[in-house]
Amino acid sequence: MLTIKNLTKSYGPQQILKGIDFQVNQGDVITLIGPSGSGKTTLLRTITTLEKGDGGTIDFAGVQGELAHLSKNDIRTIRQNVGFVFQNYNLFNNKTTLQNVTEGLVVAHKIPKAQAKTIALAALKKVGMADYVDHYPSQLSGGQAQRVGIARAIALKPQVIFFDEPTSALDPELVGEVLKVMRQLAEEGATMVVITHQMNFARNVANKVVFMADGQVVEAGSPTDIFDHPQVPRTQQFLAEILSNV
Amino acid sequence: MTTLALIYKFLIQILPAIQITLIISVASIILGGLLGVALTRAKLSPHWWWRAIANVYISVIRATPAIIMIFVVYYGLPFLIKGWFHVSIEGWNRMYFVIIALTLLFSAPVAEIFRSAYLAVPAGQKEAALMVGMSPWQAFSRITLPQTFVIALPNLANAIINLLKEGALTFTIGVVDMVAKAQMIVSNNSGGFAFETYGALALIYWVISLAIDKLVSLVESSFQKKRQAIQP
Ligand SMILES: Nc1ncnc2c1ncn2[C@@H]1O[C@H](COP(=O)(O)OP(=O)(O)O)[C@@H](O)[C@H]1O
Ligand SMILES: [Mg+2]
Repeated sequence: MLTIKNLTKSYGPQQILKGIDFQVNQGDVITLIGPSGSGKTTLLRTITTLEKGDGGTIDFAGVQGELAHLSKNDIRTIRQNVGFVFQNYNLFNNKTTLQNVTEGLVVAHKIPKAQAKTIALAALKKVGMADYVDHYPSQLSGGQAQRVGIARAIALKPQVIFFDEPTSALDPELVGEVLKVMRQLAEEGATMVVITHQMNFARNVANKVVFMADGQVVEAGSPTDIFDHPQVPRTQQFLAEILSNV
Repeated sequence: MTTLALIYKFLIQILPAIQITLIISVASIILGGLLGVALTRAKLSPHWWWRAIANVYISVIRATPAIIMIFVVYYGLPFLIKGWFHVSIEGWNRMYFVIIALTLLFSAPVAEIFRSAYLAVPAGQKEAALMVGMSPWQAFSRITLPQTFVIALPNLANAIINLLKEGALTFTIGVVDMVAKAQMIVSNNSGGFAFETYGALALIYWVISLAIDKLVSLVESSFQKKRQAIQP
């Protein structure tokens, strides 16, 4: 469904992504783990065209091309078929909860207002935020804001939803409510790519775990492969560190 | 007559000329605002030559006293236009020259204000808009611009009040605005009652600035809720 080949990306002289191959199939829940600074965010941002890749190809939603030379139309097509959930939510500060969800439906996807509202309310209900439609982002807790962020993404019925550390800005007691929503989405068959340090989620919800370090995919496989039988020393070392911190 | 009664009398005499002041101010605010937005774009351009042009323009304009700008436009512009296009604009209503001068003057602070307000909107707002499928223009006009505007409002109000004050120099090229009217009153009274006359004039300016402040704080408070960013 989504195939990335040999993706490279530098910021200035520093190469951040060093030839990444990445594949997402329908219904996959992929968690992307790795030390901070290993390029996970950059990978997601490059796939979703928020950043321009230097090299590599993408095959997704009918777009086949080099990431460095995508046309405006290609970029629009890719963006209209992905959802993105940000670490710090990035809810539209000048819009209510409901408007945060309808905005993309109406403005970008040209869905009539009444229908957009129905879709938005269903999405908000799914994340447990239907009672907050008229609240502004400033009036929501972090966990509530992130659930609206998820509603905003799923309302668009994207082929893949990307999550960049969706719970790492949250107070610990709010993490659970967001993970619960994500787990529910996964059970309903949504295709998801999730950067996370929540190893329980990676182990129990994902069907595939990708471990990245220094701009490369070091090891990828099922949660059992990665967590119980890591093959590469770098993976073993990372897991030992992160699991001992819990 | 008491001083207060005199001030009131002169106030009534001056007030009709407020029309001129308002026309000039509103026209300059709109035109200068548009020019300011264009300059903001240039200042934020990835191309250095656009930034350079905007920076030079702004620094020149900011250094030019209002009175000099008005004279330069009034005496200089017809000359230039005649040289370049062979068209005579000397017969123009003098108000137009003031509007041009104030437009130029107003555009510079507007550009600075909008630029810093635009940069104060978190980049994530635009990115989130792009990720729900909006075009860059939609993301700008629906998400970034309204937030920029709210951030810019208080400084914009100051700039508008400054413009209003600079506009008090309109009389220098013979447009009969409130200041000119006050001068006439004083000279008709052979220089008498100058304090009361100019006091009345100052009072009018004070009320207009109060009104601008009030208007801005009304607009601001209606945006208040939306403006606060969430604390992650
Ligand atoms: N906009 C940027 N400009 C320059 N360097 C950046 C930028 N974004 C990220 N980097 C650098 O790229 C590297 C990878 O960052 P990132 O993708 O955020 O890693 P991760 O999400 O795995 O923590 C880091 O060294 C970071 O400093
Ligand atoms: Mg990151």
